Amino acid sequence: MREAVEILLVEDNPEDAELALRALKQRNLANQVFLCRDGAEAVDFFSKNNGPDPKVVLLDLKLPKIDGLEVLRRLKGDARTRSIPIVVLTSSREEPDIEQAYELGANSYIVKPVDFDAFARAVADVGLYWLLLNHPPQ
Amino acid sequence: MSWSIERKLPLLVSALLLIVGIALLSVGYGEVRRAARQLADDRLTRADSAIANLFQTAQQRTRLTTLAKDSALAAFLTQTTRRSRSRNLVLDAMRRIVTDTLSNSALELLDTAGHALLRTGRFAAAPSVLSVLAGDSTVVGPLLRRDTTLYYAAAAIIRRDGRLIGSVQQIARVNLNERTRKALTGLAGGDVAYLLGNMAGDPWTDFETIIPAPPLSVRTSQRPIRYERGEAKRAAATVIPGTPWSVIAELPSRRILAPARAYLVTMAPIAALIVLIGAIIAWWGSHRLTTPLREVTMAAEAIAEGDLDKRVDVYRRDELGRLAASFNIMAEHVARSHHRLEGEVARRTEALEGTNAELESFSYSVSHDLRAPLRAIHGFARILLDDHKTQLDPEAQRLLGVIDQNARRMGQLIDDLLAFSRLGRKEIAAAPVDMHELAQGVSEDLRRSEAEQRESLDIRIDPLPPALGDRALLRQVMSNLMQNAVKFTRGKDSARIDVGSRPDSGQTVYFVKDNGAGFDARYADKLFGVFQRLHRAEEFEGTGVGLAIVKRIVQRHGGRVWAEGKVGEGASFFFTLPAAEKPAAEKANARSG
Repeated sequence: MREAVEILLVEDNPEDAELALRALKQRNLANQVFLCRDGAEAVDFFSKNNGPDPKVVLLDLKLPKIDGLEVLRRLKGDARTRSIPIVVLTSSREEPDIEQAYELGANSYIVKPVDFDAFARAVADVGLYWLLLNHPPQ
Repeated sequence: MSWSIERKLPLLVSALLLIVGIALLSVGYGEVRRAARQLADDRLTRADSAIANLFQTAQQRTRLTTLAKDSALAAFLTQTTRRSRSRNLVLDAMRRIVTDTLSNSALELLDTAGHALLRTGRFAAAPSVLSVLAGDSTVVGPLLRRDTTLYYAAAAIIRRDGRLIGSVQQIARVNLNERTRKALTGLAGGDVAYLLGNMAGDPWTDFETIIPAPPLSVRTSQRPIRYERGEAKRAAATVIPGTPWSVIAELPSRRILAPARAYLVTMAPIAALIVLIGAIIAWWGSHRLTTPLREVTMAAEAIAEGDLDKRVDVYRRDELGRLAASFNIMAEHVARSHHRLEGEVARRTEALEGTNAELESFSYSVSHDLRAPLRAIHGFARILLDDHKTQLDPEAQRLLGVIDQNARRMGQLIDDLLAFSRLGRKEIAAAPVDMHELAQGVSEDLRRSEAEQRESLDIRIDPLPPALGDRALLRQVMSNLMQNAVKFTRGKDSARIDVGSRPDSGQTVYFVKDNGAGFDARYADKLFGVFQRLHRAEEFEGTGVGLAIVKRIVQRHGGRVWAEGKVGEGASFFFTLPAAEKPAAEKANARSG
């Protein structure tokens, strides 16, 4: 049995993943992070997960195998995972992506800044907010 | 009032027929009337001469003249004694004349004093009607009246050896009764009536009773004229030769004009019938003519409204049939080329949509895939600087700083490029935009962000008329131009920025003018290209996309953009936009409503 996962990071780009993990680590949030390298892994994670749900999912949109919007659709379409907060964290600031994500039930949509400082701040803030400030339904 | 041809044509034809009918009727009526009058006039003159001949007194006068020369009379008048034998001779001669001429007359032998010496005949004698006797021939006197009888006298002088010794006078009565009148009327035929009287005046008779004398004009007129006697009549007079009498033949106008009236009574219904039939034929013809025209008109209207498959059902061999056939062929051509064009448009649209989709996926890829490696470059350079600073000498740290800066700049370039590419696809939501308010909003934002760095920034905005366009995009135009103006005046002690406008043939020219660094006029056309910069990066920051975005937005609004400037003396940027005249009226409506 592994430790309870609090943040599920779905990110195919290893550098982005590393930078995100680093940002979370700086706020001591990295211990409970689980990383999925593509959409299929993310879907797989939920189908095999026996422990408590993660407190937040950070989801990239452009993913190999199953893309981010499809993962979003499946999680929000499933009664068991519907209440898990999902934050879309992507490079795309295209209007159709944003609209579709919210339509499918995304809880937030954050465009990854190119600037590392801004990126690190955004990831860390999101982690803090959902883990410490947000009260999910029991 | 506009009437259809179908109504106008029969109305016109009917009106024409009516006019022609009335004209023909009146001309015909006039002709008949004239002919009838001519006929009546001829009759009247003929009747006059006929009766004048009837009243010839020549024979009577000849006999009387002959009697006056009879020696027996002279002998009787000259004998002073033993008159009885010669008296019988005289009476015999006188009786012979009375029997031969007028039965209802009397003869008198008068002496020079006018005393009747002998008398014969049944008619009661009247006083001598001849006061003066002259010449040798018989003189007929005027008509005389006694109560209801009319009579006259004729007299001849008796001479012996040229000496006047007496006279013989015949007195005759004119027969007045219905039979006489009817006989005379019958003689002239038809309704001609005769009147007899003295030319000088009363008495006059119609051969039945005594009547007042007709007017002088009628009594003396040889030519038929019109006059009133009880009713309108036409009459002609003639003098009876050898007498002072006149006879008038007259006809009632009513009888003269009877044929003209009969003509009218017969012809009017025929004319009315012709007009009616003409109107019906005109209506039918017009209907036959306009029905196919209406069909063609309706088909043309249907086609104009977009029903390209509409055709005309007219099968005729005349011009209208040809018109319909030609129309159908034309409609066929129109429909065919329309369908061909539609197909072409559909194909092109499909191709364009494909290109658009490609472009979209391209910019999506750029947006997503170019940023990730940049983020990595920037991120890891920062990590190196943050975590391993102590192991890096100052030169290494500076180099990492350059990497950091360029990565940021690259990120900015990508963002600008994406914004620029999105503009090409964005739909323009045109609505009236208050350009003045928009410019003031931009000005306030600029002041807020520049306030700390600048001591004096003088932005003046003239009243700007509203434009027709997309508010968000126009704000970006204004913002980019004013930002540029602020940027390029940074080196100046007193920066001055003017925003204004002027009307230009249905459009409005807006301008943003500054007194900043300016530019070389030779490169004015390069200003608006993507990534085109006329200044070095160290002088003024920027990616070179701002003016390209301005140009694209203005062009998508159907406007133009251009710039004027001189190095060191500032620059002016102009752009045109369609004027929005409506907002004022709409506001007024909203207020009143």
